[in-house]
Amino acid sequence: MTGSLAFGALISLVCGLDRVAILQIMISRPIVAAPLTAMALGEPLVGVQIGVMVELLWLARLPVGAAVPPDDTQVAIASSVLAILLGQELNASGIELLLLCLLVAIPLGKIGQYFDHYARQYNVRLIDRVDTALDRGSLLGAEFQHLRGLTSFSLAAVGTYVAIVLGGFVAIPFLWPLLNQSLSHSSAWIQLALPLVGVAVILGTINVSRAITLFCASFCMSFLLMWLV
Amino acid sequence: MVISWKTRLYIWFRLLLLQASWNFERLQGVGFFYALLPGLRKLYKGEELLAVSRKYVGYFNTHVYLAPMVAGAVLKLEEDKASGEADPTVQVDDFKEMVAAPYAAIGDALFWGGLRPLAAGVSLFFAIKGILWAPLIFVVTYNLVPTWFRTVFFVRGYRQGMESVEFIQKNRLPDWAIHTKETAIVLLGGLSAFMVFSHLNQQQLPSWLGLLTLVPMVMLGLVARKGMSTLFLVTVTVVTIFLLGLFWADMVYLIAS
Repeated sequence: MTGSLAFGALISLVCGLDRVAILQIMISRPIVAAPLTAMALGEPLVGVQIGVMVELLWLARLPVGAAVPPDDTQVAIASSVLAILLGQELNASGIELLLLCLLVAIPLGKIGQYFDHYARQYNVRLIDRVDTALDRGSLLGAEFQHLRGLTSFSLAAVGTYVAIVLGGFVAIPFLWPLLNQSLSHSSAWIQLALPLVGVAVILGTINVSRAITLFCASFCMSFLLMWLV
Repeated sequence: MVISWKTRLYIWFRLLLLQASWNFERLQGVGFFYALLPGLRKLYKGEELLAVSRKYVGYFNTHVYLAPMVAGAVLKLEEDKASGEADPTVQVDDFKEMVAAPYAAIGDALFWGGLRPLAAGVSLFFAIKGILWAPLIFVVTYNLVPTWFRTVFFVRGYRQGMESVEFIQKNRLPDWAIHTKETAIVLLGGLSAFMVFSHLNQQQLPSWLGLLTLVPMVMLGLVARKGMSTLFLVTVTVVTIFLLGLFWADMVYLIAS
């Protein structure tokens, strides 16, 4: 289990850095990060299911300027780790456990937003050090300070992962016996609803005139086609 | 040309670390300096290099995929300045400030607002079908355009200097951003219909019921437009479905007994 948790932390670090600090090739998106984690832990399908549910949820929250969206990357990674490890621990499987892990992780994703905020706030201190390095005539020192910023983003990513995983390990074994049966009545519908809520939020916030008309036309057209075929 | 292609390639790679020290005071400022430094080192020496460096660690913010174009153009202007060929009326700082905000707005709309939902929509079709290649499809579909922008626009920026702005205008990127967003909406409409249709088939319920999904979705969209948080909407939706599920189970039990 320790190995799996550490592996999850490593993926959370790499994907967390891709989110803001380096590359931005979008391996931090839940549809990539969750299957990647689950594949590393031997159950890729769990990751794909989690990725589908989380991907669209906060997609409408754009990382514009100084805006910091909730950390959906760590939510996806941590809930994949929780679903796989607790599945083995509790001897449980199926969409209910996966949903419970996700529903515990989603509110904890807010922590990631705060950690990310602190990381960016902490990096303000690096500016003074960069200025001092330049005053001393040390360009190498200034370059080094820039790269030090990666440390705060790394800590924010791994810190969020640890917080969600810890929260999950405390809450889920307690909640599982209470909610397992009740969740089975609605799990399939919740699994469908989560991405649809994400789509609805995108629809509401995307800056396109006639977005709702376009969406409804496309929905009805596709639906009727599938119905007819 | 004073700055060799090897140095420019090095700068291009350094631009991938543009946001490593992103902060609330100067945003990408230090990162922009970090990326340009190999080029500045070729153009200036000693105190002059330090003075130019101090200028570049100041505030800077643009879209991360369009930053290479600004960097390319700034390098060209610095190169002209260092060789004494620069137009004396053109200030590199002014140019940088002038283009950063509009490029950021274009990039945000095109990449975050349009391309990302579009690529997500495409890959989710595969993911829902249980195809394990879906993440790879997302990464490849999404990255084709940003990689092209990062590379070609950097080259253009360096070749054309200030005139690179015309390249953006000529290619009408703001219009492309709107078209991409519209395509994303159409695709998400199809994706939602596919998810609902498949789910109803699995549950062995009449397909026409799926059309009713539009009502809560449009309502949630309108509520989101009013500024309601996603977390709140998720909580309300999940709790409602959970309670309805319990109610339905009780009803079935009562009728059966």
